Amino acid sequence: MALLEIDELKVTFRTRHGPVTALDGVSLRVEAGETLGIVGESGCGKSITALSVMGLVPSPPGNIAGGAIRLAGEDLVNTSPRRLRRLRGSEIAMIFQEPMTSLNPVFTAGDQIAEAIMLHQNVSRAEALSRAVALLDRVGIPEARRRADDYPHQLSGGMRQRVMIAMAVSCQPKVLIADEPTTALDVTVQAQIFDLLNDLQRETGAAIMLITHDMGAIAEMADRVAVMYAGRVIEEGRADDILDLPKHPYTRGLIACIPNVGKGEGGEPPPLAEIPGVVPPLHLLGAGCAFRERCGSAFERCAAERPRLLGPAAHPAACHAVEEGRP
Amino acid sequence: MSAADPAAPRKAARAESPLREAWVMFRRNRPAMAGLALLVLIILATLYGALLYGGDPYEIVWAPHEPPGATPEFPLGTDYLGRDIVAGLLTGGGPTLAVGAAAALLTMLIGVTIGALAGYFGGAIDNLLMRFTEFFQVLPALLFAMVLVTLFSPSLTMIAIAIGLVSWPQTARLTRAEFLKIRKLEYVTAARAIGARDGRIMWRVILPNALPPLIVSATLTIGVAILFEAGLSFLGLGDPNTMSWGLMIGANRAYILSAWWPVTFPGLAIFLTVFAVSLVGDGLNDAFNPKLRER
Amino acid sequence: MAGYLLRRLAYGLLLMAGVVILNFFLIRLAPGDPAEVIAGDMGGATAEVLAAIRADYGLDQPLLVQLGRYLGAMMQGDLGESYFFNRPVSELIGARIGPTILLVLAAQVISITIGVAMGVMAARKPNGVLSGAVSVVATIGYAVPVFWMGIMLIILFASIIPIFPVEGMADIRLRNEGWLERMIDILHHLALPAFSLAVIFLAIYARLSRASMLDVLGADYVRTARAKGASERSVLFRHALRNAALPVITVAGLQFGGLLSGALLVETVFNWPGMGTLAFDAILRRDYTLLLGVLFCAAAMVVIANIVTDLAYRLADPRLGGET
Repeated sequence: MALLEIDELKVTFRTRHGPVTALDGVSLRVEAGETLGIVGESGCGKSITALSVMGLVPSPPGNIAGGAIRLAGEDLVNTSPRRLRRLRGSEIAMIFQEPMTSLNPVFTAGDQIAEAIMLHQNVSRAEALSRAVALLDRVGIPEARRRADDYPHQLSGGMRQRVMIAMAVSCQPKVLIADEPTTALDVTVQAQIFDLLNDLQRETGAAIMLITHDMGAIAEMADRVAVMYAGRVIEEGRADDILDLPKHPYTRGLIACIPNVGKGEGGEPPPLAEIPGVVPPLHLLGAGCAFRERCGSAFERCAAERPRLLGPAAHPAACHAVEEGRP
Repeated sequence: MSAADPAAPRKAARAESPLREAWVMFRRNRPAMAGLALLVLIILATLYGALLYGGDPYEIVWAPHEPPGATPEFPLGTDYLGRDIVAGLLTGGGPTLAVGAAAALLTMLIGVTIGALAGYFGGAIDNLLMRFTEFFQVLPALLFAMVLVTLFSPSLTMIAIAIGLVSWPQTARLTRAEFLKIRKLEYVTAARAIGARDGRIMWRVILPNALPPLIVSATLTIGVAILFEAGLSFLGLGDPNTMSWGLMIGANRAYILSAWWPVTFPGLAIFLTVFAVSLVGDGLNDAFNPKLRER
Repeated sequence: MAGYLLRRLAYGLLLMAGVVILNFFLIRLAPGDPAEVIAGDMGGATAEVLAAIRADYGLDQPLLVQLGRYLGAMMQGDLGESYFFNRPVSELIGARIGPTILLVLAAQVISITIGVAMGVMAARKPNGVLSGAVSVVATIGYAVPVFWMGIMLIILFASIIPIFPVEGMADIRLRNEGWLERMIDILHHLALPAFSLAVIFLAIYARLSRASMLDVLGADYVRTARAKGASERSVLFRHALRNAALPVITVAGLQFGGLLSGALLVETVFNWPGMGTLAFDAILRRDYTLLLGVLFCAAAMVVIANIVTDLAYRLADPRLGGET
């Protein structure tokens, strides 16, 4: 039994175009101490997956229509809101994409971390505040004592993300979900944040679910990778395998998009690739493979039948072309 | 409402100007259309009601304080002098509505002029005009209007002028904000590039694009002006010889504990009028900002 | 903060000087001899009184000198003499300003508390019944003439449910009781006038705080609070409301002048012994000096309210640097 198991999760949204399936049978598992990268373009369902684990899918219009999420064997889909609140922030914590807007502008950084501590641990406010200062120090904020009294607008973007991380790890969660934690930050700061997350994981043994559209981040952080497209997992495997031997045409496209990682020879960097087209609107998905319109290897079967995740258990892919061994 | 109307999308597609598009949106808005209908009804009643009804609102026609329904001739009863309340309602609406409309017009005239100049020219002119506007916002509007009417003359014209003079600052601020926003847009630069003069740019280029929020604000201003007029007449500051809804309430207020109807009906009339106006205003607001309708 | 406060106060003084100048010109623009205007139409102005006024106000001097004198006197708190009551205007207003402040503050507290509570509850379910009810109440509240609201409440509570007094500020039979009894009596008398006045503004705050809460509830930091495991109550009242309250503070400041205007009407309906009834008396007696004195004091109250609002906003929003 893995620490976090997502089993055939199905999430639907009510929209103007009628009900839309945002997640369609997503299954994932993460072990303690492991980092699972979830990749895909925006709109592929990776953030909804994260919010489902947190129990924060906005409802209405969202609704978990089927499947299970288990944390150390405990079901999270059918548990009480009260129990879920207990787990949120203490057992499962989340770091959001936008450090600029994810901190409350009217409370100090220290207050917001201390609040997370006091919500889950029976400590005094003074104790919580001093722990908050220690955490700020731990996440690499200089003059932590002084910074704890700063309001978010007085901190830089990188600092704010460190505050978010301090808040997320304040109760030593077993699972840490990081939703594009560095997208809004400078490249130099990105590397620092990744180092920090790696260090924290080594100290606490937490499982990390890293959600990103950036293959570079995957290369740096992830042990295993799940590639998502249009609400489904379409390829899964060890990070090295996926990066070196991607199977699904979509994954191959994603990897070709990374500068300097392709098979450039003679010192010449290869031309930058891009995947043509965009993710189709979910309400327009037909019966076949959701990627076929953008795929160079599509054939008749792709329009008729939706491919299932098949192949070796360590590295399956959902592609008819792969299944039939076509080029 | 719109789902059942298959013609609606086609009409919307045909609409060429934003104003016509807004009208299409407005027509689908049930509360707003109800408000508009009510408003038209009230205006018609105040214009022609007295003629059709035929009673004289100033004449003592019956015993004082005849309750409503007791005598079929006077369905809403009589006031403290024995005057017919229905006749009073039909006659008293005219001055109220006229003053409301005139005051709103004056408010828009002053407010849009000052706001447009401030927003268009910016800098020192903006600063000066905005200080001037802030100064007027310091004066409690009703009290200032009371002072003006008392010092000068208690005529309907003076009341309309007084209300206009006290309510323009909000319009000025709104107009200024719109002009500030629009004057930075490309088409204004383009107009300037072909050598259009300031007056032309303000009047022909920016103002038409600033109209939607100003129309909404003008509508709501009419409602506020009607309430102001009613308040002043209630206090006895209006022309004592012109029947108006506010005056009816003021004249009868000494007897409210023995007769509720002479104050209740004119008040209801004021309420319904302002209610109708604000429903129309809200509807216009929604029609001009379809994005906000989700709220 | 202190520097800001000083600048704000100086600007307030400037605005008040503007009010004085306005008053000065209003008297001179009014039809008739300024001396007679100052004495008031019904003041029984004898020749001696008129001569005294001319000397006092320097009406034979050039206009600028007159203005200077007038400004000087006003800034020293000398608002002139009421020739009808035969007492200084400042004394008359001083006796009435307390009840008006009490009424206005009570209405402000009632309307903000109930209005914001309604708005917050409506925002929790934007398509729910309560949310619709708030919209309806807001539109109705905006359209009700405040004086008529008062009269309707009087009819209701005087004859049908007689649990609140409908006139005046205190029961004369209690004048020899202890302070506590008298204070409870005043609050008892305050209930209806304050509520009539609060209704319109309650509608404004309900609508505003509903929109503002809806905005804030969609913000990222509210999601962060939920992700921490904060309870729904804490999310609503601690995280969201603190932010949603900011526009409410702004509007509360902007509405103060309107609140004061409404109070004048409500006072005359309930015979509340404040500045409104005083202004009404002044109008009946054509006592222009008194009326302009009331205008001056009301404007001063608005200026002070605006300064207080600005300070409150700076304290509530750390982004404006209020905490330094």
